Amino acid sequence: MGPLIAYEIITENTNLFFAFLIGIGFGFVLERAGFSSSRKLVGVFYGYDTVVLKVFFTAGITAMLGLLFFSLFGWIDLDLIYINPTYLYSTIVGGMIMGTGFIIGGYCPGTSICAASIGKIDAMFFVLGIFIGVNIFNETYPLWENFYKAKFLGAPKLSEFLGISDGIMALLFVGMAMFAFWLGERFEKIKKPVIY
Amino acid sequence: MKPRILLAIFAIPLALIIAAVPENTTHAFKLTASQLLEEANSGVQYYSPDEIADMIINKDPSLQLIDVRNADEFEKFNLPGAMNIPLADILSKDWQGYLDQDGRINIFYSNGTLKSDKAWMITRQLGYENNYVLLGGLNYWVETIMNPSAPKNTSPNEEFAKYDFRKGAGKALGGSAGAVGESTTSTKLPMPMIKSKPKKKRVQGGC
Repeated sequence: MGPLIAYEIITENTNLFFAFLIGIGFGFVLERAGFSSSRKLVGVFYGYDTVVLKVFFTAGITAMLGLLFFSLFGWIDLDLIYINPTYLYSTIVGGMIMGTGFIIGGYCPGTSICAASIGKIDAMFFVLGIFIGVNIFNETYPLWENFYKAKFLGAPKLSEFLGISDGIMALLFVGMAMFAFWLGERFEKIKKPVIY
Repeated sequence: MKPRILLAIFAIPLALIIAAVPENTTHAFKLTASQLLEEANSGVQYYSPDEIADMIINKDPSLQLIDVRNADEFEKFNLPGAMNIPLADILSKDWQGYLDQDGRINIFYSNGTLKSDKAWMITRQLGYENNYVLLGGLNYWVETIMNPSAPKNTSPNEEFAKYDFRKGAGKALGGSAGAVGESTTSTKLPMPMIKSKPKKKRVQGGC
């Protein structure tokens, strides 16, 4: 029966409406979890607060297990799930730019909007920076186009790459998450707690 | 209890389950044996010869007759505009585009309904839509359309109307009511319809 849009059970406009509601919920939870504080966010890079790692890794494994179980019950057709195509070089370089911006600015794109909306001035400048960056990329796109589209890999899955089933991959991934959380808490103990 | 431990208590057993079960590869549209039996018995797959004759005469563009007998039999006699997909080849990739489509009404026919019913059951089980069967097959077709028998004098008016229609249709389609003729219709293969599959939609988002 799923995905709902692909099977035209809901229209694209209804989908946008759901996205709007979910987006509000997402923003609210981000703010309440303290993600509108740049100090908390960059804590993950310095090791004194790994809540970012925990939240997004938890979200990842929840969604992953949910999709796999839905597929098992026949509620969703995994072949119809859109997977962002991978352009290897631009993914690597883009990840580095994003990471650098994250450390320097103290926000990622979503949380910057969240923080700007509760009146944090640094976040407003961050959002302005995003717009400037997007425009620069847009205007100079012809210069980057070849590089941007280089090394196109389609939409590969780790499980296919490693030649194992999705289920085994999920188990490994959950194990990885648990190890990362344990490691994160070890770091938090070593580092001095920071008051925000 | 730490949230980390709590999460582990839930996530690890679930991950173990999902790692242990085989992946679900069942097709969402597949019927169960009992559903198929029910459909087959209810006769929803049948189109009567009168309906088909009417569609042929009116050159209904949505009609696609499919002869599931073998090529020799098809050469000897076929209905106008029919294409030949022998039952043995029905799973061939070449024909998939004709059978798995949502633009035309495919009518399987054979001499009786044995082969055409088989063809319908196979395609139905594959989840293909819009495939039907000519009721009674060619035998019944010849009996009703090509050589209609006049109803009794005491029959209701509808019977006479039906008879008139069949006489006319038989003539138009070269039955004994008119001149008996070899079917010489050139049967050009129509282009397969492209089925509109559910599309993947791009999503936007991120952290």
